[in-house]
Order: sequence, then C-alpha cells, then structure tokens
Amino acid sequence: MTRERGPDVFTAISHRARRRMLDLLLEADRSVNTMAGQFQMSRPAVSQHLRVLLDAGLVTERRHGRERRYHLVPERLGQVRDWISHYEQFWDDRLQRLQKTLSKRSGE
Amino acid sequence: MSNAIRREVLFPQQPEQVWRAITDSATLAEWMFPNDFEPRVGHHFTFRVPGNPKANFDGLIVRCEVLECESPRRLVFSWSAGGPVENTRVSFQLEPDGEGTRVHFEHSGFDVAHSHGEQAFKGAEYGWAKMLKQLSAAVAGLAAGN
Repeated sequence: MTRERGPDVFTAISHRARRRMLDLLLEADRSVNTMAGQFQMSRPAVSQHLRVLLDAGLVTERRHGRERRYHLVPERLGQVRDWISHYEQFWDDRLQRLQKTLSKRSGE
Repeated sequence: MSNAIRREVLFPQQPEQVWRAITDSATLAEWMFPNDFEPRVGHHFTFRVPGNPKANFDGLIVRCEVLECESPRRLVFSWSAGGPVENTRVSFQLEPDGEGTRVHFEHSGFDVAHSHGEQAFKGAEYGWAKMLKQLSAAVAGLAAGN
C-alpha cells in the first residue's frame, strides 16, 4: 500500500459534502464561488473541504483569469476500486475453505 | 462506479451436500465465521469476524438478511459491513453438474463514489476508512496465512 502525505482518498470521500463536491466537479470544472452556491455552509468551510480533496489528490486547481477552478482527478478513485480486490481475495479464500469443509464431510 | 465479484466453483459433492454447507449455521461457521444464520427469507443475522492483532484489526460485525432461500438451488443474503459495503448482495446459485455441483457465486452492489452511492455511505462517516484498511490488512493476512 502506498503511503500518502495528506489525507488519503478514503478519508477524503468519507464526508457527504466532499462527495457532493466530487459529483459537481464530475459535471464541470468549478470555482469556489460557484461551488459555495450549492451548499448551506460558509465559503471558508467549502474551501476547507476543497483543501482536503486537493491534499488527497482528488482535485487539482487551475488558474482561470482571476479565479481558480477546481478539476476532478477521477483516476485517484481507482484506490477505492483496488480495495474491492481485497474482497476478491477474501472470497477466494472462503470458497477454498468451503471446498475443504465439504471434502472433509464427505470423507467421514 | 459499481463493481461485482463473480466466481464459478465446481464441487464433487451433490447440490444437497453443498446446500447444507452453506445453510447450516455450524457448518457455515467452519468456512465463514461464527453466525446466527437461519435458512428462511427475512431472517436477520450477523457474521462475527474475529480480530487479528497482528494485522491491527479489531474485528467486524457483518449484518445480513436472507433475501432468497430456495433449497437446494439458490441462497441470497444482504451483506452490510459499512463504507461502500452497505447493502451489498451475496448470492450462491447451485446447479447439478454430472455427479457434482456447479456454484455460481456473486458479491455485488459495491457502489462507491457515485452520486447514487449516497446511501452506501450512510452512517459511515466515523472513521470507516480505518475499518477498510484494517479489513484489507486482515484479509491479506488470512490469504497469506491460511
């Protein structure tokens, strides 16, 4: 497993507001102000959540004239997908145990 | 982003024997985990996954409900363990194959980082990332150790 400097992707997507931000950024790049319009929380609070997403590498910021726009990096979510592969290992192990259990029983 | 795990396993035993191994609580505990499974639709049960100090894993309760139970052909139960693994479905489809049984296994419904996945994360805002990491480590340990 790779060591992360900032908060990891799992932590970053564990908050509802941040997942909503990712959904918004999936549609288009957005500035803090247009993002803030979609939330009840204050603009600094929105910035703080964006900071967590930035640190996790899930979004990047790009200068666009006078404002900065946030851009989604969907590849980073691949880690979450990778995690599911651990479940594959888990079931392969369990199904092998099922085979062993059955052969033991039919041998009795 | 949704994902499913599918496996097909051929058993030399007949469907009735395989069925017993997946629906008898004590036998189920032998290859899965301690549980209070009962083979009837609507029954709520749990698997108690023991901790593993070596993997820094505290253990885990998997909450399940029997969704389909058709002896000796089809068993489906829900599987909720928190995080993106909430209300996923585990199914075993048994099919006679010569003298033995072909089992189609599927674990589906992982729905992560999708807007419709909101439900999947419900109630899981308390450090489920930690749980995921621990489970990963514990499962990796199991796969390596057994």
